[in-house]
Amino acid sequence: MSHYLITFLSALTEASALFIAAAGLTLVFGALRIINIAHGSFYAFGAFAATTLVGGAAGGWRFWLALLAVPFAVAVLGGVTEISVLRRVYGKDHLAQLVVTYALFLIFGDIMLRLWGSAARSVPVPSALAGSITLGGGEFPVYDLFAIGAAAGVGLALWALLQRTTLGWRIRAAVEDRELLASAGTNVPLLFTTVFVIGTLLAALAGVLAAPLESVAPGLDASIIISAFIVSVIGGLGSVAGAAIGALVIALFNTVGVLWAPTWEPAFIYLAMIAVLALRPWGLLGTAER
Amino acid sequence: MTTILRKPASLRVPAGVIALIVVLALGPRVLSTAALLNVQDAVGLALFACATNLLIGYGGLVSFGQGAFYGIGAYTVALAWMHLNASFWVTLVVAPVVGGVAALAVGLLALRTRQLYFALLTLAVSQLLYVIVQQQESFTGGADGVFGPMLPGFLLNPGNAYWFTLAVAAIGLLVLWQITRSPFGMTLRAIRENRERAEALGVNVFLHQLLAFTFSGFFCALAGVLYVVWGQSANPNLFSWTESGYPIFMAVLGGQYMFLGPALGALIYEQARDVLLASFSDSQLVFGAVLLVIILAAPDGVAGLLNRGRRLLARRWPGLAPATSRAAAAARASGGQDTKPDGRPETAVR
Repeated sequence: MSHYLITFLSALTEASALFIAAAGLTLVFGALRIINIAHGSFYAFGAFAATTLVGGAAGGWRFWLALLAVPFAVAVLGGVTEISVLRRVYGKDHLAQLVVTYALFLIFGDIMLRLWGSAARSVPVPSALAGSITLGGGEFPVYDLFAIGAAAGVGLALWALLQRTTLGWRIRAAVEDRELLASAGTNVPLLFTTVFVIGTLLAALAGVLAAPLESVAPGLDASIIISAFIVSVIGGLGSVAGAAIGALVIALFNTVGVLWAPTWEPAFIYLAMIAVLALRPWGLLGTAER
Repeated sequence: MTTILRKPASLRVPAGVIALIVVLALGPRVLSTAALLNVQDAVGLALFACATNLLIGYGGLVSFGQGAFYGIGAYTVALAWMHLNASFWVTLVVAPVVGGVAALAVGLLALRTRQLYFALLTLAVSQLLYVIVQQQESFTGGADGVFGPMLPGFLLNPGNAYWFTLAVAAIGLLVLWQITRSPFGMTLRAIRENRERAEALGVNVFLHQLLAFTFSGFFCALAGVLYVVWGQSANPNLFSWTESGYPIFMAVLGGQYMFLGPALGALIYEQARDVLLASFSDSQLVFGAVLLVIILAAPDGVAGLLNRGRRLLARRWPGLAPATSRAAAAARASGGQDTKPDGRPETAVR
């Protein structure tokens, strides 16, 4: 019993940062119709900035400062990127948009390499969340529970934002029909910048949150963007609830795969994605591309 | 457009290929062995890029997984040598067929999806092969890949290997070019421009796209064989999504709406990469910046720029104009419309 509970909670921990990152990616796609490869860079920016802010010290307040300040700092970078580069490619084809965000990914990658070097870094767990607690007979780290709680909190906040605020229904309307929204008087370019800033914020937040759980090294941007793509495609591009389901599916596949078939484990997430798209070509909760 | 005006345009590609071959054929006489290997690599990648562009430029299908078929081509040669001790000359013929059959199977699945989902599904297929090849060490050699004397003695001479690559790539490019200008290629372009209208005219869209995907897989695998001739090995990275990205960037760099644009992109990319690596520590940053500028300022790539420059000169000296531009000039003189509203060069394959 405890064995299954701990396995499930480990999967939930893995799913938490993945969900937050994928929610940002899918939100941006839903409104802007852009697959943002540089989303992975914003995640890595968050994680690397956390290593600098927290440093080697396990002291409490520095981590909380990073968790609050880093996402907003990276979000400013996101806003500048959207206004200066992405606005120029909205009218172009998917290929141009993919190549532009890939170019940004390459540029940001080299900037990070220059700023933080190629050595792997780590972020200590804040002292308030150190140690582990006993759950149903098994030991489970407190920080992992915090990460799960944070992901649930972000999910609820996004739900409230999208369902209960004016900004939220504007974003949902942009997903449906941006021309109609513009003719109804909404400043669509400003809305797009806002959505992109929120997406960037989520990516960086996920990066900070995941920093104590993984080694922060070059290549983090590439590995998270592939996972986030798969999660949001399985869930259906544009659907935040889909991202939650996708993150859970992928994390469960990974956690169970490592236990049962270690040599085939890396293949599972791709098989899961291929299987979902074979049955539902637009993802679990997505709508068919027009 | 009349057939008289079409003729010079249709001669341009074989003329371009022949001119390119003549220039490249001088290679062994003037280049060092290292530089020769570099050009040989670029020629193989040119075939890879043009085969991928059959989907991207002509079919409007952005596949981020052509590395899968590139890898299949290379690994067919390497694994047949490792397990069956098969001759290279046999696998040279078999590998593209294996690539084509694999593409047919992948296409049956992937072409059910559209646009970005198609890009991401093809990416998933190539990544799937990438991790499987890495994990199943006993059969594939794992992360290290396959090394060994898999090439016949004839191809161990750098000059012979260069000539062989040039010849195979030239034949591949000419066949690909024939495909693009056949009725099939025209229909493919019609589907790209307006899928619904093509469907309404009775075109079997799925079948055309499936065939294009199969042809592309065939020639990507042939390019994979040329990789083995160049590298004398096969490694899992050939399957990765970054490898699948190269032909796309080469197409964007050179110009995806011209047949030889991606080949031009491959040649430029290979030479530029060495210069970048030698002179900048941040080569990715520079490459990214170049891609950004090209997309924002020259969406039709270098080939598009060349055309634009030619038309600019043609305003002063009409004799320099491409055939289609001359037709446009004639139309302009008679009061008709001139350039396309979206500013794309008229010679572009649209």
